[in-house]
Amino acid sequence: MSLENLRLALDVSVFWEYRRLLLAGLAVNFYVFALAAVLAIALGFPACLLRLHRWRPLQWLGTGYAEFFRNTPEYVFLIWVHFVLPLLISALIATKVNFPPLLSAVLALGFSYSGYFTETFRAGILAVPRGHLEAGRALGMPRRLILWRITLPQAARQMLPEAMNQLVSLFKATSIISLITVPDIMYQVVQITSTEMKPLPLYSSAAFVYFLVIFAMSTLVRWVTEGWRTRGWA
Amino acid sequence: MGILSRTITNNFDKLLAGLAVTLEVSVIAFVVAVSLGLTLCFVRMYVKPLRWPAILAIEFGRNTPIYVQLMWVNYVWPDLFGWPTSVFTAGWTALAVQSSGYLAETFRAGIEGVRRGQWEAAYSLGMSPALTMRRIVLRQVAVTMSPSIMNQFLVVVKSSTLVSVIAVPDLMYQALRLTSIWFEPIEILSVTAFLYIAVVFVLSNMIKRYTDRLRLRYT
Repeated sequence: MSLENLRLALDVSVFWEYRRLLLAGLAVNFYVFALAAVLAIALGFPACLLRLHRWRPLQWLGTGYAEFFRNTPEYVFLIWVHFVLPLLISALIATKVNFPPLLSAVLALGFSYSGYFTETFRAGILAVPRGHLEAGRALGMPRRLILWRITLPQAARQMLPEAMNQLVSLFKATSIISLITVPDIMYQVVQITSTEMKPLPLYSSAAFVYFLVIFAMSTLVRWVTEGWRTRGWA
Repeated sequence: MGILSRTITNNFDKLLAGLAVTLEVSVIAFVVAVSLGLTLCFVRMYVKPLRWPAILAIEFGRNTPIYVQLMWVNYVWPDLFGWPTSVFTAGWTALAVQSSGYLAETFRAGIEGVRRGQWEAAYSLGMSPALTMRRIVLRQVAVTMSPSIMNQFLVVVKSSTLVSVIAVPDLMYQALRLTSIWFEPIEILSVTAFLYIAVVFVLSNMIKRYTDRLRLRYT
């Protein structure tokens, strides 16, 4: 290990020089993260209800959905959504369709993580004691009312810590969107590296920035959920 | 079907070779990650002066995306440490760095979950702390934590798709190369995705079966 190289790795001046671009990249990360999170939750919730439906075929459908997306590597799915899905849609509606990279990124991450959210929601709903549902039934509440008034409010608390951990994972996964040329922070770092030829400080600082952001997020999650746990909330 | 035979059947050996590389990278990374994770966990718990560096290493592994680590290990480490010297080594190193952090925390949770009485019983039989750790505690950790430990292998396999970015010739790399030769993304990428899903699905079912049996036998 050479000291000169170590000094170079810790030299953040290049990184500082490009701070505008890099911050803009980080903003793109957050943007994709937010959209994908909304999509993942919006898809995960109905899939979870399917998994818990009384009718068997619907259960299988929900289980298949969750298993499919949980078992697909995100990068493979991202590439597939970006390069294959538009072709399939084009063939289907007989007009040329192209996905902008940002759309592919949101779709791929949203669908991928909806599988995880399905499982998280399911665990939360199953954690609600059966007696509560039976009490609702005994009071003559219809199924839908039981779901909205009794099951979901309690399930929401149960699953919040896990759901927030999933969100942190989702943010981590946004780093791969640079591979389909979404101009996120990693994309900018690779671009700057190819013009400046200084991989040492650039990649090191990028890793450090990601570490800071994600560490802050997961610490916040731990801090918040511990507060809930001590109050017997979650 | 013409296209399928031209792009897939003719090149299936390449895809299979890629799949072999994927599994090779994942297995090496996982073995290294387990040993490294156990070491980090012990250092964190029992070596006071090195506690903070170990925590930093663990948290770094857990809190940076695998893609970023891959680029970092591949482009920065060779200049800093003169190692890794090949993309293959860089690939499994990055995967191992990531997983060792998660595994270290899994091991710690497992060790802390073993009841005090077990330690005391071993001590009262005259066993040394190291022997107790080996014979009593780690065996129980292996059983209670085997689902999380083995699921980490699935995470490694799924993350290993990214080593194609630094030109390790894994399944994804072969698929992207074939796509750029034949310009038939639909067939090639769909078959690739299917292969990955099949592999991960089979592995996850094997793991589930195995850990269920383990739990039935020992608890």
